[in-house]
Amino acid sequence: MVIIVYSGSFRKAFGEALVEAGYLNEDIIVLDADTPKSTWTKLFANTFPHRFINVGISEQDLVSTAAGLAIAGKIPVVAGFSMFLMRGWEQIRNTISRDHLNVKIVGTHSGLSDYMDGASHQCFEDIALMRVLPGFIVLVPGDEIATRKIVLEALLEHKGPVYIRLGRDNAPKIYDEFEEFPIGKLKIIEDPGDIVLFSNGFTLGLALEVANELKRHGISAGVADVYTVKPLDKDGIIKLSKKVNLVVAIEDHSIYGGLGSAIAEVLSESYPKRILRIGIRDEFGVSARSFSQLIEYLGFTPVNIALKIIEVYA
Amino acid sequence: MFAPCVVGGDAAPILNNDFLRSLNASLSDHISLDVLEDKVKRSKRRLLNLLSKVGGWHSWSSLSSLNIIAVLFGSWIAEGYAMGVERLVVVSKGHAAPSVYSWLVEMGVIKESELEDFATPWSRLQSHLDALRLPGIVVYSTGSLGQGLSIANGIAIASKIDSIRREVAVLLGDGELDEGQVWEAIATASALKLDNVIAIIDRNMVQHTGFTEKVKPKEPLAAKFNSFGWYVLEVINNVKTIHSGLRTLSSINGKPKALIVRSNRRW
Repeated sequence: MVIIVYSGSFRKAFGEALVEAGYLNEDIIVLDADTPKSTWTKLFANTFPHRFINVGISEQDLVSTAAGLAIAGKIPVVAGFSMFLMRGWEQIRNTISRDHLNVKIVGTHSGLSDYMDGASHQCFEDIALMRVLPGFIVLVPGDEIATRKIVLEALLEHKGPVYIRLGRDNAPKIYDEFEEFPIGKLKIIEDPGDIVLFSNGFTLGLALEVANELKRHGISAGVADVYTVKPLDKDGIIKLSKKVNLVVAIEDHSIYGGLGSAIAEVLSESYPKRILRIGIRDEFGVSARSFSQLIEYLGFTPVNIALKIIEVYA
Repeated sequence: MFAPCVVGGDAAPILNNDFLRSLNASLSDHISLDVLEDKVKRSKRRLLNLLSKVGGWHSWSSLSSLNIIAVLFGSWIAEGYAMGVERLVVVSKGHAAPSVYSWLVEMGVIKESELEDFATPWSRLQSHLDALRLPGIVVYSTGSLGQGLSIANGIAIASKIDSIRREVAVLLGDGELDEGQVWEAIATASALKLDNVIAIIDRNMVQHTGFTEKVKPKEPLAAKFNSFGWYVLEVINNVKTIHSGLRTLSSINGKPKALIVRSNRRW
């Protein structure tokens, strides 16, 4: 029996990792558009006040200012709600991507995680928008430990533009502290059986619960953490897909352009296989009083998803 | 098949580029303003010739920027170098690229013959200034308006953090001021007291559709910058006034500075 506890916080893990990185590399400069309390960049701001810039509520300026810092040799980290960072998408595209600048963009409050704020804040489009950009690395950590490791790797080891997609709180507890997360690889958490479930972010915890639910129905499902959406671990995807009868992608992102799409692209080109995409189907979010209320309202529960899979699989 | 195009550099900071350092040194010979004016005349002929081959592509914009580009690249950088100040030019109105190329020929940075290839796929001289093809000269890849001042702010902030004596001049079009991001950046420069940033507005009174005040009024432009906490100077568009305007601005500290360069004629 797998019991997933969603007691972690992506943004807190991010804020703490930023401070850690700040001590290790003096070139790291953090920029925020008046959300340091929400993104937890406040920890960095308090520790390194001279290396923290709050440009005010102006995301386009935020992104381009970071580009300038990178041009001057700094390692700027741009933090904000993923939804509103997308307001600077054209700036990201035309300067950071085109000139391949060493800017790290971290979107918090992505997907369903910002349950209270509703449709305006719940961002289901960021992976689609970021993975289309030449030269960008797109990373989606699944828990606090993955967040810390992936943020440190992206800031301290990788040179070039990176987008990291984070939820707000409600992070599942999945990994122990010795786990490593090399860019460009997927991670098998449960070996595939009849089905393989590809997921990342908070829905990785959900995928583990779904696998558990499927087991009660006599279906064995493997789970893989695709924390690197770009560059996608094509060999890993194909290898796992060859072992199963159905491929499933689970994400709190639009089914258009997200992880499910990325996997479908690889499979249809190299190893045609039926794929079921579980995600947001061409719609917007909604306000809820709690994370679980939103999840239940949208049918993003283990039982519901398992039933959808059985419907297709049977 | 498409020919391979440049996608991404190596994420190396452009300002730490050795090429830029050598370029700065080579650009640093003092030229008298009379000589500069002669060079501008030659550049203007070269520019008109170039524009005639591409159907007058953004010609007004290139022509009105030529004096500014000549003073910045031909004298302002050199004067800074002599004072131990590293000076950078950020061209935000990237469609003035033909003007920049025509001037760089005059400075011997690019060959006259290279202009023949302007805007062809294999040329470094792209329609809009491209940082990966002209590293060191072009600070960031342009074409999309409204971003240069934010980028200059970022460079200026980094310079202050590192205690480097560096000044960044940004060439903006007046039509470009319609972009909301410019005003975000104007507010940021003021909030952070970026006195190492100089915005130069090419006030040529035209934008794509026509007369700026008809499309969307920019006036009272100086008052707008003033109200955001900037020091503002207005000059008419010629080599000597632009030069003396920049010299005046270099002595102003504690706030960002704007030079509004007004065209008093059709180009």
